[in-house]
Amino acid sequence: MLDLLWHGLVNVAQWKYLFPLFAGTFIGVIGGSLPGVTITMTVIVVLPFTYGLDPLAGLAAMTGVYVGGSTGGLIACCLLGIPGSPASIATTFDGFPMARNGEPGRAIWLGVWASVWGGLLGALFLVFLTGPLAAIALEFGPWEYFSLFVLAMAMVAGLTESSLLKGLISTAIGLLITVVGHDPIGSVPRFTFGSEFIGGGFPFLPVLIGIFAFAQIMTDLEKLDGSRGQPAQSLAGVRLERFSHLKVNIEIFRQPFLLAWATIVGLIIGILPAIGGSASSVMAYDQAKKFSKTPQLFGKGHPEGIIASEASNNANVSGSLMTIMAFGIPGDAVTAVMLGAMTIHGIQSGPLFISQNPDLAYGIYAAYILAHPCMLLICVALMPLMLRVTSVRMAVLAPVVLVLCVVGAYALNNTMQSVYVLLLFGVVGYVLVKLGFPLAPLILGLILGDQIEINLVRAIMTDPNPLLFLTRPISGVLLLAAVASVVLAIWQHLRHQNRVVEEEPDF
Amino acid sequence: MARTFVTTAGVAALTGVLAALSAPAMAQYPDRPIKMIVPWAAGGDTDNIFRPFAVEFQKHLGQPVVVANVGGASGTVGAREAQKSAPDGYTVYAVHDYIHLTFYAGISDVKYSDFEPICLVAATPSVLTASAKTPWKNWQELADDARKRPGEITVGATLGSTSHIFPAMIEKASGVKFKFVSYEGLAPRMNALLGGHINLTDSNLTQKGKVEAGLLRFIAIASEKRDPEAPDVPTLKELGMNIVYEVVRGVLVPKGTPAPVRAKLEEACTKATKEPAFAQSMKAQGTRVAYLNASDYGKFLDKIDSESKVIMTDLGLIKK
Amino acid sequence: MSIGRDGIAGLVLLAISLVLLVKSFQLPSLPIVPVGPGFYPAIVLSFMAAASALLVLQDLMKGRPAAAAAATVTPSRNYRLVAIAFAIVGAYVVLLPLLGFRLATVLFVGALQAALGRPQTARQWTVLAAIAIGTAMVSYFIFERYLLVLLPRGAWTGF
Repeated sequence: MLDLLWHGLVNVAQWKYLFPLFAGTFIGVIGGSLPGVTITMTVIVVLPFTYGLDPLAGLAAMTGVYVGGSTGGLIACCLLGIPGSPASIATTFDGFPMARNGEPGRAIWLGVWASVWGGLLGALFLVFLTGPLAAIALEFGPWEYFSLFVLAMAMVAGLTESSLLKGLISTAIGLLITVVGHDPIGSVPRFTFGSEFIGGGFPFLPVLIGIFAFAQIMTDLEKLDGSRGQPAQSLAGVRLERFSHLKVNIEIFRQPFLLAWATIVGLIIGILPAIGGSASSVMAYDQAKKFSKTPQLFGKGHPEGIIASEASNNANVSGSLMTIMAFGIPGDAVTAVMLGAMTIHGIQSGPLFISQNPDLAYGIYAAYILAHPCMLLICVALMPLMLRVTSVRMAVLAPVVLVLCVVGAYALNNTMQSVYVLLLFGVVGYVLVKLGFPLAPLILGLILGDQIEINLVRAIMTDPNPLLFLTRPISGVLLLAAVASVVLAIWQHLRHQNRVVEEEPDF
Repeated sequence: MARTFVTTAGVAALTGVLAALSAPAMAQYPDRPIKMIVPWAAGGDTDNIFRPFAVEFQKHLGQPVVVANVGGASGTVGAREAQKSAPDGYTVYAVHDYIHLTFYAGISDVKYSDFEPICLVAATPSVLTASAKTPWKNWQELADDARKRPGEITVGATLGSTSHIFPAMIEKASGVKFKFVSYEGLAPRMNALLGGHINLTDSNLTQKGKVEAGLLRFIAIASEKRDPEAPDVPTLKELGMNIVYEVVRGVLVPKGTPAPVRAKLEEACTKATKEPAFAQSMKAQGTRVAYLNASDYGKFLDKIDSESKVIMTDLGLIKK
Repeated sequence: MSIGRDGIAGLVLLAISLVLLVKSFQLPSLPIVPVGPGFYPAIVLSFMAAASALLVLQDLMKGRPAAAAAATVTPSRNYRLVAIAFAIVGAYVVLLPLLGFRLATVLFVGALQAALGRPQTARQWTVLAAIAIGTAMVSYFIFERYLLVLLPRGAWTGF
């Protein structure tokens, strides 16, 4: 196995593979860093080039996009307070405050290095444990998925210090947003009031960008005084501070448990199809906070929050690669496009893929591993340029970012519908932030809403016995954990209640 | 009064300029990229068939053909978007049989007759596929078991779409009764089938790798003759059921697209489907190239539509 | 006992969830699906209604001196600017399919810049215009040429 991997690494280190890998990673970082441009969109851009290339060269380029995109998202998170890609949502929670506190360099490099280490740790699992780990995915039937999602929501609703109740309501709002439109089972229109616009439903991406981008930009605009356009107050005077890569790495490795646990959370979410990077980043963030000795610092620029979110979203990539390598079943849109590229080249995907095409399989592993140093180099080269964003006047930054958001929403499925959704949820997001509702539970509700319903109905359709949710072992354990999580959150909350003064919401 | 005149003149002049700009453009269609609406997500079956097609199609059109994935609500969002696009030949619509089914199921009010046919491109025979966690080695064992416990064998399907209709036709022809569970898309169905969470599903020959590894079993294929790619899999006809079920995919344009534009598209499509590279990539998709020209494709659509209506009525899914 | 911001938000959410809850019971169900399309929404909505009601109660029970203290430290906020910005984005979204991406974007970037910081000199106006045109052209070029996204063309302009 090691010699196969070594052979793979030497093979991919040739220019004809290294160049597409590097180019793919570069495009991925850029695409990831632009709010509204998703990794899926970026990987589709690379797709036509791969038709003419050697299959491994094409797959290396796509792997590069995937890794680069999962990291690139953190740049917009830290500098603009808007997630560059859905997979880096939770990085916003601490990355942006840290940048605002005058440490944009530290915020970004903590994220980049955590991505590198999380990704490489994930690679260990990918290379050595793909078979057994991917088998877990098959054990998950509708009951297990349903219980897992309930657990995820139970965990995240308790994230907010200020009000557990508002956290729960936020979750419910998130779930409710996904319910509107055609139902996912029989396409019956729900709550549309006869409107074709509402009938189209509210897709995740425009809602996400709308809520984050507008909430952020508009709260910044509140603080602009009058007609003179000065830089956004939040980033005013923030200059690239002196930081050292060594210090950042020491910071990460001082908490090996945090890094390892975030990686495992990302990996498991990656293996299970249908939820992906966005959920893994939020869940790892939540876990980091639960286990932290200093939970009160989260949300104010705590390094642990950035490390957890970024390590997990890159580990998530290795998880998604597992099911496609082991079974030829894509776990998300990006791997679906990769699978399509393999099929075009006449490569038979499936359980025999690794043993029948060891060169290609280990080539993909090698590409995944080598994408991380490539990504690091690219970040080193781009960062001085990217950091200049902080000195751009708000009057220029706001319209440019909003144009990107509009184009990103439009490009999701090439309809104006998504752009209208973007605007609608821009208003909703701004209002919710003003009313002090936390956004993290809402986003998780949005991510999981559809899937919870589908799996609940599937379970009932397969077997009407509701006790199966408790008697199937994995499902039962997950539901127990969910109950425990809520009890823990209430207990922690009661204990802290005297100390925590509800803050005036200031996003 | 004078002001109105100036405004009118201004508008007239502007219109004239616009007309002058667009007139030569019409003369040499196409002069800008063409958008191909694929009503499903990137990486899906339909996307995997139309992306290689777009490559050949643009070669013969002389302008880029850009695939736009307009997914959502069982493909009906894309259908509606295609229907209301300008009929200028710059939007083409990649379609499959779902358009008939979603109409009769009352999910969407877009009908195939809202479009003009260009050509039929490809046909993918459906394959009845069983999980390896089930005991059945062949159709006979499956049918015997199914008769013993009607309504208990689970089938994963996108309700009201092709993956639902195909097993439902088998139910009708053989007198068995399945239990349908909603799984939209081939990838989630395969996951559930491998894990044994469902017993049966509709798939296609792209899943051959999993069959060879012993994780799935192909029970029967719904083509006219056995497929050379999987010669051991019997056809439904051999098993005594008169069912040929292929998911056929073709290209449509919004109604009202000028005839010369349609002719140009049809010509490019004809040439594209004859490319050996296209045949090669279709083979990898478990699909055969199935070309029909515009008028034959139109008749074919009429036939499919009336058949779909009958099937949907039989299944009790019809709403209109 | 007076009602605060949370209380009002809770009441609004309670009203929304109750209206939708009634709606969810009226949804038609499919013969082959054992639970109708209203089953899951009803669960979510009941949960939301209960949580919103609790929020209203919590707000009513809470003393209100804290709010007054908070108001004094809040910096003055420019809500007029926020409203203008939302209006400009709204106009952009409406004009996008009518004028086409390129024209609408030039107008939008120009207008929002001017709203956020009105240029004083001719030179500043030139910079503003350059940024507006530059943003539109660069984003158009990147998306249309490299990212294979056909951006909206104007129904009025054909451009």
